[in-house]
Amino acid sequence: MSPLAIYRDDGPLAALLGRLGAAIPLWPAALVAIGLLPAAVAVVLEGDGASEGLAAACAAWLVLLGGVSRGRPLDDRLRWMVPSLLRLGEYGTIIWLCAIAGGAAPAGAFALLAVAAFRQYDLVYRLRTRGATPPPWTAAVSLGWEGRIVLTWLLLAADLLPGGLYVAAGVLAAVLAGESIHSWTSSLRVDAPAVYEDEEDEAA
Amino acid sequence: MSPPSAPQPQTTAIVLVAAATDEGTAAALLRWDETTILRRLLDQLATLAIARVHVLTRPAFADAVDAELAAFAGVPAELHVTADVAADLRRIADIAARRGDTAPGTLVIVNGDVVTHREALAGLLADPRVTTGVLSTGGRTGRPFTFRIRSRRGRVVGAGSPYHYCHHTTGGFLGVLKIAPSERRLVATACEELAPLAADPPASWLEELEHKEIRWRLSLARTQLLEGDAVPRGPHDGEASLPRVDPSESIDVAVLDAVELPEERLAELRRRLAAGREDASALVLVGMVRAGAPIGNSYLRELFWARPLSEADVAHAREEILLYDEDKVLLDSAVKGTDGFFTTFFVSPYSRYIARWAARRGLTPNQVTTFSLVLGILSAAAFATGERWGLIAGAVLLQLAFTFDCVDGQLARYTRQFSKLGAWLDSVFDRAKEYVVFAGLAIGASRTGDPVWVLAGCALMLQTIRHTFDFSFAAAAHQTISATQPPPVAQSWDSLTKPPHPLAPRPAGAATRAPDGAPLPWPQRIAAGALATWRALDRLGPTIWLKRIVAFPIGERFAAISITAAIWSAHTTFVVLLAWGGFAGLYALAGRLLRSIAR
Repeated sequence: MSPLAIYRDDGPLAALLGRLGAAIPLWPAALVAIGLLPAAVAVVLEGDGASEGLAAACAAWLVLLGGVSRGRPLDDRLRWMVPSLLRLGEYGTIIWLCAIAGGAAPAGAFALLAVAAFRQYDLVYRLRTRGATPPPWTAAVSLGWEGRIVLTWLLLAADLLPGGLYVAAGVLAAVLAGESIHSWTSSLRVDAPAVYEDEEDEAA
Repeated sequence: MSPPSAPQPQTTAIVLVAAATDEGTAAALLRWDETTILRRLLDQLATLAIARVHVLTRPAFADAVDAELAAFAGVPAELHVTADVAADLRRIADIAARRGDTAPGTLVIVNGDVVTHREALAGLLADPRVTTGVLSTGGRTGRPFTFRIRSRRGRVVGAGSPYHYCHHTTGGFLGVLKIAPSERRLVATACEELAPLAADPPASWLEELEHKEIRWRLSLARTQLLEGDAVPRGPHDGEASLPRVDPSESIDVAVLDAVELPEERLAELRRRLAAGREDASALVLVGMVRAGAPIGNSYLRELFWARPLSEADVAHAREEILLYDEDKVLLDSAVKGTDGFFTTFFVSPYSRYIARWAARRGLTPNQVTTFSLVLGILSAAAFATGERWGLIAGAVLLQLAFTFDCVDGQLARYTRQFSKLGAWLDSVFDRAKEYVVFAGLAIGASRTGDPVWVLAGCALMLQTIRHTFDFSFAAAAHQTISATQPPPVAQSWDSLTKPPHPLAPRPAGAATRAPDGAPLPWPQRIAAGALATWRALDRLGPTIWLKRIVAFPIGERFAAISITAAIWSAHTTFVVLLAWGGFAGLYALAGRLLRSIAR
């Protein structure tokens, strides 16, 4: 997989939806942008007063198109926008769903997003420093960007916010941090060459 | 004090003693204090875990070099007599292939007449992150006689040699090349391909050699003009004078061509050309680049470097090198050149001394990284109280955490203790610190009845998106670089079309044309024009700092958090982070979109 494909942080559902990608001749960045559109309009017009049904429809559309974009080749000149657009979709939707729930729910959103961020930074930094990726089961357990949107909506529908998110974030944090520590302790014995890069163009 | 370097026991060095002085002796055997340039270099290499040295020299120098090696006991050294560059290349191929060797290690190719600091060599040879790379400069060191290279994102993607033209150069190759064991096979193959071409150069190679002489002469003429004592070339009555020129402007080639160079400059030009034609290292580098090898850079930074070819050059170099304080340069260059404004002017000036103190106490970068994270968590805990004293204490602790965050990297660069785990910890802990502080601020705000979790979540989202743009844009650029097929070594140029004759007048409006000279379609033309303006702004001194502040890097972010939280509230902090970060994100996005369209 190319680094950009890894940075997407897809879960099992996106992998499944990606099979539809071959039929839709659009750049993946365009697909994700179209997927984001209804949610963006709804957030601007309705804010946290949006109905759960509207939010569900917008999130489903995003998951569908973002998932389909997984099946498109990352070879166009705007391919570098795809992972960031997916982050915008994931983080934005989860914050929005929790804002709709109101009360203490946004704190739960922050907890889940912090764990998602750890997962996504780990994908990047592990690839850079060691040329390695976390094992495939971590993608299934952490659900991917789309799975975490679905999970948040399910918890919203079941009226389990923010408690459900705290539990999910706690479990996920323990599993992912554990896997990271395990992989580092076992990798220090085997040394694979990595491409060194000075973070020249990056705002650290 | 010399900081410790990681031992690399299997390294083999190939030292090229081919450049000659005017007297026909080896330049590497010019006297340096009580010894010679070659011995000085060999002594330096001996301290850098070089296990074996092969010295390649010409028949005329063989006896003198042999006598020199007999007096050198540092590491086992073997003398090879090679008739010309083609023979050098064949011998390098043999050594690189190391026929019959079971455990080939890193290979180093170095010009025997290079005078530089041990630390400059160590920067390349002892840095485990640069497995294959060159000692190079982005500055004027060695100009115009060093062969030029082009780097993209830290990787050498183009290189020049006496017979090879390199377009859009970004730096100079300083005659030291490090080759990872995994690339030795590629080097052997490249050298075998180059050898017959070097023995009997094709017409395009010879043409480039002529052009190189003209370019070097024009460059000397430019220096002459800027120093203001130039006279026109050819017969003149003493009245004629050349126009005064502005150093920032490009000078018409016809004006440069008309400058008459004094005899000592012409003599130097001849010496450098002759030495350049004997330089196998530049050809090896070209061969590697054209074969698509991943080659990194180790920058000379502010250290001294020279290739003296005469007694006068040596005298000058000996005077110059004494002006350098190696430890100070090392400490200064431990500070990243690409840091933001706040980091550069408010943290690095003192954090480098903490780094040196930590080095002397034997602390490791990872210990400092962990200490910084602990300070960050304490800062978050103080913010979480929501009380005024807590916000102030948190602000101070966050600044301390940030100072040590700079110290760990500077300590690693100063002592060359790089590790993959260290790089990962440094990056992950940086992010962890920032987001744990967001959580602390939001908890504190909730306790005082102002829930800001949505704002905190948005700030986390914005920062993660900005980073993801950086990562993805870099990944896409690397993908593009790797996918580009370099031309074969037999071709003397590496641009899409043959470069024009150096004396041909330069066409105007180069930015609005494709490399093959055709006009670009309008979206690309507009994007290219905007980019040219953008880059021109970079050359105006202070704008580069303005741009770095606008980019809202980590130092500015942590300063903004500390100041707004200590004076106002967590709410203000998040609003500022979102506004400034949002602007920075859109600014960077606009630049990248332009670059993507203009490509």
